[in-house]
Amino acid sequence: MTNSIADIKESDVIMVIGSNADTSHPTIGLRIHQAKKNGSKLLVIDPRRTGFADEADLWLRPNPGSDVALLNGMVHVILEEGIWDKKFVEERTENFEELEIVTAKYTPAYVEQITGIAEEQLRAAARLYASPGKKCAIFYGMGLAHHATGTDNVKSIANLAMLCGKLGVAGGGVNPLRGQNNVQGACDMGALFNTLPGYTGLDNNDAFDRYEKMWEVKLPRRKGKAATEVWDAILEGDIKGIYVFGEDPVLADPNAHHAVAALEKLDFLIVQDIFLTDTAKMADIVFPAACYAEKDGTFTCTERRVQRVRKAVEPPGEAKADWEIFCELSHRMGYDMPYSNPEEIFNEVTQLMPQYAGITYERIEKVGLQWPVPSQDHPGTPVLHIGKFTQGKGLFIPEDYTPPTEMPDADYPLILTTIRETPQYNFGSMTRKTPEIEALCPEAFAEINPADAVRLGIADLDTVEISSRRGTVQLRARITDRSQLGTIAIPYHFAEVPVNNLTLNSLDRLSRSPQYKICAIKVSKIEA
Amino acid sequence: MTTVTLTINGAEIVAEAGLTILEVARRAEINIPTLCHVPGKPAETPCQMCVVEIEGQEGLVCSCVGLAQDGMVVATESAKIVAHRLERLSILAETHFGDCKAPCNLTCPGQINVQGYIAHVAKGQYEEALRLVMERNPLPFSVGRVCPRFCETRCRRILVDEPVSINHLKRFVADWCMRHEIDLEIPKDAPTGKRIAVIGGGPSGLTAAHFLTRKGHDVTIFESSPMLGGALRYGFLEYRIPRDVLNYEINTILRLGVSVKLSQKWGKDFTLQSLKDQGYAAIYLATGAGVDVPLEIPGVVNPHTYSAMKYLRRVAEGKKPDMGRRAAVIGGNNIAMEVARTLIRQGVAEVTVIYPRSRTEMPAHQRNIREAEKEGVQFLLMASPVEICDSTEQGSRLKLELIRMKLGEPDAKGVRQPEPIAGSTNTLQVDSIVSSLGQTAVADKFSGGALEKSIAISPNKTLDANVRSSQINIEGVFAGGDAVSGPRSVIQAVVAARRAADNIHAYVMGTVKDEGDSRFNFTRGKGFDDVDLKNFDGINVKLREKMPTRPPEICSQDFDEVKLGFSEKMARHEAERCLSCGCTAYDRCNLKDLSIEYNLNINKTGMGTTPVYAKDSSHPAIIVDKNKCIFCGRCERSCEYDALELGAETFDDKGRPVGLFLRFKDNCVSCGKCVDNCSTGALNKKAQTIPLHSEPVKEVRSTCPYCGAGCQIILRVKGGTIIEVTADPEQAPNYGALCVKGRFGHDFIQHKDRLTKPLIRKNGMLVETSWDEALDYTAKKLFDLKAMYGPDSIAGFSCARATNEENFLMQKFMRTSIGTNNIDHCARL
Repeated sequence: MTNSIADIKESDVIMVIGSNADTSHPTIGLRIHQAKKNGSKLLVIDPRRTGFADEADLWLRPNPGSDVALLNGMVHVILEEGIWDKKFVEERTENFEELEIVTAKYTPAYVEQITGIAEEQLRAAARLYASPGKKCAIFYGMGLAHHATGTDNVKSIANLAMLCGKLGVAGGGVNPLRGQNNVQGACDMGALFNTLPGYTGLDNNDAFDRYEKMWEVKLPRRKGKAATEVWDAILEGDIKGIYVFGEDPVLADPNAHHAVAALEKLDFLIVQDIFLTDTAKMADIVFPAACYAEKDGTFTCTERRVQRVRKAVEPPGEAKADWEIFCELSHRMGYDMPYSNPEEIFNEVTQLMPQYAGITYERIEKVGLQWPVPSQDHPGTPVLHIGKFTQGKGLFIPEDYTPPTEMPDADYPLILTTIRETPQYNFGSMTRKTPEIEALCPEAFAEINPADAVRLGIADLDTVEISSRRGTVQLRARITDRSQLGTIAIPYHFAEVPVNNLTLNSLDRLSRSPQYKICAIKVSKIEA
Repeated sequence: MTTVTLTINGAEIVAEAGLTILEVARRAEINIPTLCHVPGKPAETPCQMCVVEIEGQEGLVCSCVGLAQDGMVVATESAKIVAHRLERLSILAETHFGDCKAPCNLTCPGQINVQGYIAHVAKGQYEEALRLVMERNPLPFSVGRVCPRFCETRCRRILVDEPVSINHLKRFVADWCMRHEIDLEIPKDAPTGKRIAVIGGGPSGLTAAHFLTRKGHDVTIFESSPMLGGALRYGFLEYRIPRDVLNYEINTILRLGVSVKLSQKWGKDFTLQSLKDQGYAAIYLATGAGVDVPLEIPGVVNPHTYSAMKYLRRVAEGKKPDMGRRAAVIGGNNIAMEVARTLIRQGVAEVTVIYPRSRTEMPAHQRNIREAEKEGVQFLLMASPVEICDSTEQGSRLKLELIRMKLGEPDAKGVRQPEPIAGSTNTLQVDSIVSSLGQTAVADKFSGGALEKSIAISPNKTLDANVRSSQINIEGVFAGGDAVSGPRSVIQAVVAARRAADNIHAYVMGTVKDEGDSRFNFTRGKGFDDVDLKNFDGINVKLREKMPTRPPEICSQDFDEVKLGFSEKMARHEAERCLSCGCTAYDRCNLKDLSIEYNLNINKTGMGTTPVYAKDSSHPAIIVDKNKCIFCGRCERSCEYDALELGAETFDDKGRPVGLFLRFKDNCVSCGKCVDNCSTGALNKKAQTIPLHSEPVKEVRSTCPYCGAGCQIILRVKGGTIIEVTADPEQAPNYGALCVKGRFGHDFIQHKDRLTKPLIRKNGMLVETSWDEALDYTAKKLFDLKAMYGPDSIAGFSCARATNEENFLMQKFMRTSIGTNNIDHCARL
């Protein structure tokens, strides 16, 4: 997030696109609802009728996967109506001409063809967001990112926000809601194939020199493979061993059968986890790990706030904190990482990463700090890009609309989209062990639009079989207009309904994120 | 910012304008009590606890309503204010209905949190159950076997069917932890440098040593016998407390770091003076009551007549005194029963207990009498020994002359003392006699030195210690247990020793003893007759589990344990019978806390006596008990979703609700914030079944492990168990808000499916292995892959749920140890 959660109450307009924060980030969703109640305008763009859509001042329900066209259409309208922030664009951005050129063809009529959104609605949305002089925030989630064009979507969001000058101000900003507790931190720490910690690209030789000096080792400077690319690399024989730390690709990866086939071909699989996950069951070695309540450390949340995690209880049996396991294994591999506690590791992080330079455990003892914190006397940065972008000028990177990879056809006439339910989390390995949560949300339902249900002869609570070109699942149906016509939504928390057996491993060309939100399916009723 | 300057309790305070007096006081850290306040959400009808006086204004003002104004002079405490608060509290208390603490808890001499440990058992948290017992009783193995079970006599389940088998549950958790080799890791305070001598290594001495060691003192036990245990070893034989169990129990205490000196006789090997000279800051006398009251009849001195403790000790030491074929036991106390049962086990064919009154008047516990009888012990009641002579009959060694007794006229207290029936002699031919006429701490006077001689002795020949301070008439010398009380149950010795330990701690540290829990208690009825049977509507009869016991005809043949203990299934089943009488909001109830603070005497002013409303557990995560609701409205006003409706059909003349309703609306997201805001136990978390009394609870601030919002949570930890999760309303970024996962979804942490050992694949199967083997094997495999196919043949997936430090290390490991950039995580999944 460029901004802070506490900012939400300052926003005049809140645009929520591709996020159902009520289920994925409930306490942030709450603040958005409260802001709306207190007078903020709410603009919602979502194919799904979410709780926000119900309350929205304006709700656009575009066709799935058409976000780039829609956002370009908004830019088009804003340019046409001359309601962009000229001063901001002039002073703080570059490549504006390119934006004009690319978005020129996204006339309301053209946009309607792609998105199904009428001109009137498109214009209303564009005007509401552009509202000159108002503080307008954009919130987006995986509904925007989980597409083969996920980065295009995000760039289009950034284009829109820069054009309207909504960055660098409390109550504004571009605010991705990060899915997992420390996905922000994992990225910050460089657990990424294309960057060192702190987003230092692999082409940054100065950074490499610095790291090599500090770590007293020669580092590889060639590009690595993204997690989602690893499976093909295994099947092609390039990758022989995998170290899986706290993930369950057998359930989590798109087209999960593909991942399983790859895991079976591996020479050596290490899994480090708190439970014997489906992936761990296939491992050659399983390391039992401590969970968050059994160790010290920090998480960095979606608003870039670095906060303490503290040990409350002992790990079970012989389980160890993950950092200890890394230290011991590395020692045996001949490279010593002699840390005696997480704070020592953190202090190394702050020496290497300018964003974290001014953070110490002592400073975040009570309240976390939002990076960048360049020095020990810096108070942290609740709002990014005030007065100036971190990287100088904001660069417009307009993209053209590309249709989703697999659209419905005669054989697979419907779209599947995966969703979350509020009480559950991810693949349920944590939440499904609490009885109250199971009572609230015990099973997955296929949410089917009433018109589709009538056409398909499916009644509420019927058992249905849903198939894609990659797999099949069975579950009960729930008839609801929360699902768009032609789209079936299924939560992915339930191992007994492994919905990623259906999804498509079509990846974004830059981020390598999969297109979880769209794949073509067919549905049939199972007679009892 | 405009400011106002006002005076509160004489202190001048500058505050932001527009705030209420209550807010201003809070910011200035002046405490004004309130039951209904939710910051920023004023109550329509305030509870009036927050009343204050303002100079120049008549009457009292609710500080949550009145705005702080320039020049105001406010008093927050005065006789008038206190009287008003008391009146308000008494009005609320009159209809508040429930139990603060459960009757079992209140009845236990040890004040053990009985309901708490039963609830732990019901959840399968045996280790935590034992830890909770050990907070107050370090002898759960022994007490779990020999306790008279005061608690069970008050168990409310009696009004439904039978009491919960509480003591068997205690024994179960102790045995379970022993069998699973659980180290409870009982925490110790930092060393104080104070040395304390404990004389006597029985229940009282061991208990005092345990608690004093936990307080950081350096404790040495001086024991006259070659082994520790005292009455546990020499008063109860193996069939009651097996030696391996007793040794284990004693070792758990010693492991804390207690020094022991065995075979050290007080008065001979050391004296009080010598201990003082050695620098002991305090001495605890826990010598027990091991001196038998002598049988004073003619002929008592002969080789076949023993006193009880002497006899039991000989058997306990493994000696086999020749008791012949027939034996008489004189006396009807608990020790007499142990003697009789021991004689049976020694192969004595006929064992007769002789007692001058009727069976129901025997001081032994009826349960013990029954068990002795089952094993073949006979009872000759209403008879008293007169003389012992050598037997003239073939095949018997002694002749015991008896006289029959009858009950005389009631004495001044109405007690009918037995009187001999003149001329009614009776003889019993036996081979041996054991007398158990009671035990004292000392035969006459203590000896050894001047200090010993000066020890005050009570008329009962016990130590005379002050009830409050546990101190005897010598400075720095304390006493407790049977040495002071005479023979009592083990739990009573434990209690006395725990209290003495508190006193000794305060004495050596020069501090004031911690006050225990207040005796203030709402109750649904003190006696069984006072309890409205409506309380048990809907509770089905479910009889208690039967303790598996070896048949008396078999177990009387040997010294193996008679009672075998509950199986895990039986224990869970039995624990589920608990009616959970006590309030699980005990630790957070504002009504109780303020009632205590203002000294409200609800026994005089009144409390609810009957359940007006049925408990409502229809919500998936919350149980509502409207009988405890005081209509403060905090639930409704603290709900951030407007998802809770609180109201009443009408109100009585004192403004209390009648026909109260508390409903969760359809938009309730089960975040549980209302529970954390409830001022009593009207709202409870379903899973939080452990009432927290004065046991220490650790609050650990952390970050929620679920989504990326970064909500700050507080893990409330007792022992090694997370009891519940709450949030601080003052802290960014969530300011007290949590979702259902954040407040409830933490059961996974201590779930039985957690991985506890490294696993390695052998012959196609994943099997447990050591860390060394797992790590060595992994390092070798990675090394080989690297050598054969290059570092890029290995890839790592990092974890977006793990910490920054760990993600940093994972990528560092991949880039340094392996030498590849094939490192990624699920950011895009």
